[in-house]
Amino acid sequence: MKQKPRVAVFDFSDCEGCELEIADLEEELLDLIEIVDIVSFREVMKEHSDTYDIAIVEGSIMRPMDERRLRSIRSKAKILVALGACATMGGINKIRNQWMPDEVLHAVYGDANVKGNELFDVFKTKALKEVVPVDYNIHGCPIDRDEFKHVITSLALEKKPEIPTYPVCVECKKNENICQFELGTFCLGPLTRAGCKAICPTHNSPCEGCRGLIKKAETDCVKEVLERYKLSYEDIRRRCTMYNYGREECSVDE
Amino acid sequence: MKQTVKTISKKDFLSFVNSLINDKTYDVVGVKAKGKHYIYDTLSDADELRLDHDVTILPPKKYFLPQYEQMMKFSLEKPFEVKETMDAQPRIIIGMHPYDIIALQQSDAVYLDEQKDDFYKMRRDSTLIIGADIQAVSERSFAASMKTNVVEDGFDLLLTNIGTQYTVTIGSDKGKKLLEKYAQTKEATAADIKKIKQARDSMTSNYKQKVKVDKKDWPSFLIANYNHALWEEHADVCMECSSCTMVCPTCFCYDVRDTVSLNMKNGERIRTWDGCMLRGFTKVGSGEVFREEVKERYRHRFFRKGNYLPQRYGFVACVGCGRCGIACLPDIADPCNLINEVAHFGKEEDTGRFFIKQEMEVGEKGIIHVPRSATVKRVDKLNDLDTLFELEMDDKKPLGHRPGQFVEVSLFGIGEAPFGISSPPTEEPVFEIMVRRIGNVTTKLSMKNPGDKVGIRGPLGNGFDVKSLEGKNIIFTSGGTGMVPMRSLINHVVDPKHRGKFKNITILYGAKRPKEIVFMNDVEQWKKAENVQCEVTVDKCDASECWGGCVGLVTTLFPKIRMDKYDSKNTIAVVIGPPVMYKFVIQCLKTMGIPDQNIIVSLERRMKCGVGKCGHCQINGIYTCKEGPVFYYHQIRHLPEAFE
Repeated sequence: MKQKPRVAVFDFSDCEGCELEIADLEEELLDLIEIVDIVSFREVMKEHSDTYDIAIVEGSIMRPMDERRLRSIRSKAKILVALGACATMGGINKIRNQWMPDEVLHAVYGDANVKGNELFDVFKTKALKEVVPVDYNIHGCPIDRDEFKHVITSLALEKKPEIPTYPVCVECKKNENICQFELGTFCLGPLTRAGCKAICPTHNSPCEGCRGLIKKAETDCVKEVLERYKLSYEDIRRRCTMYNYGREECSVDE
Repeated sequence: MKQTVKTISKKDFLSFVNSLINDKTYDVVGVKAKGKHYIYDTLSDADELRLDHDVTILPPKKYFLPQYEQMMKFSLEKPFEVKETMDAQPRIIIGMHPYDIIALQQSDAVYLDEQKDDFYKMRRDSTLIIGADIQAVSERSFAASMKTNVVEDGFDLLLTNIGTQYTVTIGSDKGKKLLEKYAQTKEATAADIKKIKQARDSMTSNYKQKVKVDKKDWPSFLIANYNHALWEEHADVCMECSSCTMVCPTCFCYDVRDTVSLNMKNGERIRTWDGCMLRGFTKVGSGEVFREEVKERYRHRFFRKGNYLPQRYGFVACVGCGRCGIACLPDIADPCNLINEVAHFGKEEDTGRFFIKQEMEVGEKGIIHVPRSATVKRVDKLNDLDTLFELEMDDKKPLGHRPGQFVEVSLFGIGEAPFGISSPPTEEPVFEIMVRRIGNVTTKLSMKNPGDKVGIRGPLGNGFDVKSLEGKNIIFTSGGTGMVPMRSLINHVVDPKHRGKFKNITILYGAKRPKEIVFMNDVEQWKKAENVQCEVTVDKCDASECWGGCVGLVTTLFPKIRMDKYDSKNTIAVVIGPPVMYKFVIQCLKTMGIPDQNIIVSLERRMKCGVGKCGHCQINGIYTCKEGPVFYYHQIRHLPEAFE
């Protein structure tokens, strides 16, 4: 039998929620370790190895020391998978890119002396792909467990994972939801990559775009829709800031 | 046909529904409220049922073609083990409006044609329809002007609210028996029956939306407006979200994908709704997208409803329910508005321009979705990218294909993809396919070894009519992997057993680079054969590559044809290659004086189901997987989507 691929899970700046989604596979974790050897996964195990084929990396890159560590991971892994919005596109961590790193540090730590401390040496937030090449993305905040399983089984089968290139509306309509626009809220569903099973609108909350925009927000069609539903441009700007700050559109093939 | 009509008091009707629910034989589905809207859902009590609904968010198609449907289960541990999923939950759907009943009859026409869809049929057969005449008209519905607001058949029972009671029109034996078993009814009096018409008529004036072009004129009307500026104007504000197709009762295109359990032991093949408004809808393995512009996709949706399906099946595939108008955020999806907006334009007579009527031999009948098992017998690596496989059907029956036909090859867990058959017809159970490594299926397939199992559906599609080539000169022109299906035909024609039936033969073959030339052995044989001229060229060639032949596009080979041998009227040209090639090659053939009806082409599109259901391979009104992939050029030259 072929040797099982060795998998390591790492994290940078994030809430570890996507790793928790993996841990939440519960008894299915037994299936997971049937097909891969997990050699490092700080959130769930003590053991660690620096020999791995696949690195699954959560979180955004904030500091020079993060960059160094990520490059080192990349050099050891044959395949690098970005896990969750912080890793795939910077996500929530990019909200702070509206300000200069010094301003942010001051807002959080006040006058505390953090100068010269490497831990506080921050630059503007980066997604993984802004530092190293990323092979596959598992989108979302948090990720969808089924999509995680799909990506893992695809890698085990040596096939390219099939990630939707169409918007959330497709899944939302299949779930027979009442449209968020009709309920008076601005929803990023029409602009956002599907694959989440439209979980937010299905639970009566508008889409926040955590899987990345696949269409620009500054288009005639969005303008038309905003006018029709009497929503202001400010609504869309605010909503895009949450996960998609500084990011107009991502390639659908990512 | 005179239908029996009964009456039932409203109280007794509720008891009838409750006894159906309590009996637990059926999943009793009815219309329920959801916020200010309505949905079809399983009823737990008759009180939940709302027969005063205007329209539901989704049509009842979800019960016949579910959003996500398991087609089959397979095992990855065994060489080849697949089981079709058949679980027919007996179901009763209460409250279907006439337009939804008509939409269901339309999906019957598509899914229950000569190549019956097993899953659809199973669900359809186990479902009873209790329709309901419309009591509230949706703001966006234009059913009255589509004449879909009233229905005479297509239901098992039909309810009409006539004041203090319902009339129940019996539409089938099943309906009659259901009523006898579970309900207290009386014979309807002449006065009751009169009230049915009154109830229906009283609704007609409530339609705010009226389409100005009669539906029988839609096919010609659309053809006349194929290049109307409005397509682009609306496409500019289209969100490309395909909400319009998702909520449409007559949009029944689907996609298929394999998923594998985390332990990699088992998997399932799932089909799910797909939408022609999505860019990926027409995308083939090589990455080509055949309706790249939003305008083209937007227009396609209307043409499919108003021209293509009417030409094929005889009905306009819009029932005026208005759901797309409600769902579309920029409000550009509503056919009523669109048609009315263009309405001042003239009509054109030739409504069948984008469609070809064709007597076809249907390849695969019976179970159409589950592949049969085949074994890899021989593997020839042709070059870095291409591998030739000889496959043997495990049932030891010959595939029975004609040159030009294709098969769908399944690798469980990876998926399914179409492949042209590259070997000539034979009595043996073996055939050959060539695999170029470009996508998931082709990459995995390329790694297969003798003894490995694959799944086969087919032969599918319309192949070459070899008889029609007899007594003719033939010029074969192929580019790239176009040589794959071409080889099947060439080897049939040059086979000494058949060679006498054909006159002069010229084979022109262009590949991108020397290393991408496939079937070099065959080429050498053809070059040696008597009365066969075979010329090969490559687009590009580096100094490092060993190539002594021509460099240039395949069209540069045309001057080499020894024209003195050819009587152009008695010459057939067969052309297969990448989309970009056709225009130029056909121009060369025209210059040679070869008439359009003597040119045969084979086109590539996304042939997913192979049986004219899933909708992906449409070129205007035709299905590449059914009418094609082999076409006479003169039949499809008018199709704007064929050679753009």
